[in-house]
Amino acid sequence: MQPEATEPEEDSVWEEPPSMLWGLDPMFNAFNRLYVKDILHMRESCQVSGIYFYNSHPIFKVDVLRTVVYKREREDFFCHGVDDGTGVINSLCWKDEQWREQGDPAILWARSFGSSAREDFNPASELKKLRQAQHSSSHLEIGELLRVRGPVKTSRQQREIMASTYYKVSDPVMAVQISWMMEVPQLYRHSAQNIQGGSASYLLGRATRILKDFLKEKEVTRFRPYDIQDLLQPLVSRQPQKTASEQEPEAGPSSGPPTSFKQLRELLQKCLQILQDEGLVFRKVKCQDEVYHVTERDKDLLMAVRDILREDCRREKYAEKGCHILHVLSSVRQRYSRNVSKAALELVLKALECNSDIISTSDSHYTIL
Amino acid sequence: MLPAPAVFHFLWEVNSGPVKEGDSVRTLGRLHNLSSMQHQVVVQTTFVEPFDPIIGAQYIVLGEIEKAEGGDGVMAHARVLNCVDGVNLVLLQRGVNEQRSYFRERGESKGDAATAARPPAPL
Repeated sequence: MQPEATEPEEDSVWEEPPSMLWGLDPMFNAFNRLYVKDILHMRESCQVSGIYFYNSHPIFKVDVLRTVVYKREREDFFCHGVDDGTGVINSLCWKDEQWREQGDPAILWARSFGSSAREDFNPASELKKLRQAQHSSSHLEIGELLRVRGPVKTSRQQREIMASTYYKVSDPVMAVQISWMMEVPQLYRHSAQNIQGGSASYLLGRATRILKDFLKEKEVTRFRPYDIQDLLQPLVSRQPQKTASEQEPEAGPSSGPPTSFKQLRELLQKCLQILQDEGLVFRKVKCQDEVYHVTERDKDLLMAVRDILREDCRREKYAEKGCHILHVLSSVRQRYSRNVSKAALELVLKALECNSDIISTSDSHYTIL
Repeated sequence: MLPAPAVFHFLWEVNSGPVKEGDSVRTLGRLHNLSSMQHQVVVQTTFVEPFDPIIGAQYIVLGEIEKAEGGDGVMAHARVLNCVDGVNLVLLQRGVNEQRSYFRERGESKGDAATAARPPAPL
């Protein structure tokens, strides 16, 4: 829940999640109960107009319960200005055609039943009462309580709610308003907790990409975690501002070192785990000193694999078909390092094949050239 | 043109200072007689006339604050006057405080959040 004052700076560095992922956020499909202030200040998406972002959640539908403080009536619609104490916004409420005209075929049809119907049930008058009830629930005066649900639109530089549903709420002892006042902060806090889930995986993806690009560009052969953790610093320094409600408020990215450092370490660990799982890096020796080898640049590993293939392919057993990848894997683990994963070996074999040092005889067999 | 948003204030806050002249506020009080409410907030009802006053009932007033004539106390120019007799004051106070504490957590600097003083006995 970052304060609005920092928004302009955030705009330039915060990236929207790609529109394909919006459906994964439950807030996208819900009618969100937001304060009017937040509705007015939500950032509009650059990818799709009509979608807004509140705290990196994509939003387009809202649900408000507010007092009418302004009313404008036109032939087809009402425009109610509604106020909840944090802001005032217009809601455009289209008039339901049904109650408007007198010569309604439904009423005429109901009247035709009048003579044959039972005495205690008169369809025409019942229908008329229904119309009146509909009319009274959709006609509001200033001071009454209105519940509106609908998408947010920006028209003529102004935000408004285009009501898909609206009705007058009868709240003589303020019970509905009080329960709303108690509920909405809880909903906000709940969504702030959920923000960790959604944006975390997105953040992780970005962080991994940054590390991969760095390792490739700089042709790194070996590194220790602290060599690269500075690369992720800019990603983490934005995080404390987003989750200020869960930590003490921080003055800026450089303050509060324990919390942001811890987050940095965690992010780094997760990224390194992903890189290991993909086989891009491996730890030759697992000891106190965390040294990671970049698979494709480890000349010793490449030579070891080549030697294994050269020796084994001389044997009769493997001469014709070549060595199975799992056989190569167990040999590498015995000779070179126990921590080479299958994914890493696959990358090595691919690199050797590209170099024309080896060739694959089938999907998982390789032989030396 | 939409009017300014009316932040909820308790009556004792309206009198004591955090509310400035010209602010739009929403507050609750008991109708004492046709020309004033308890806790000395005078309510101007020109915008909401005619209305059916129930003396002694609790009303929610939404309107602008002005300096009262005579210099003492404040006057609220009511745009909305709703009778809410029977409202659970304790719950209402809790609801308002819940909202305020949430805004405080967010780090907003709203005038009312800063001055939520310990209230006296309910009306």
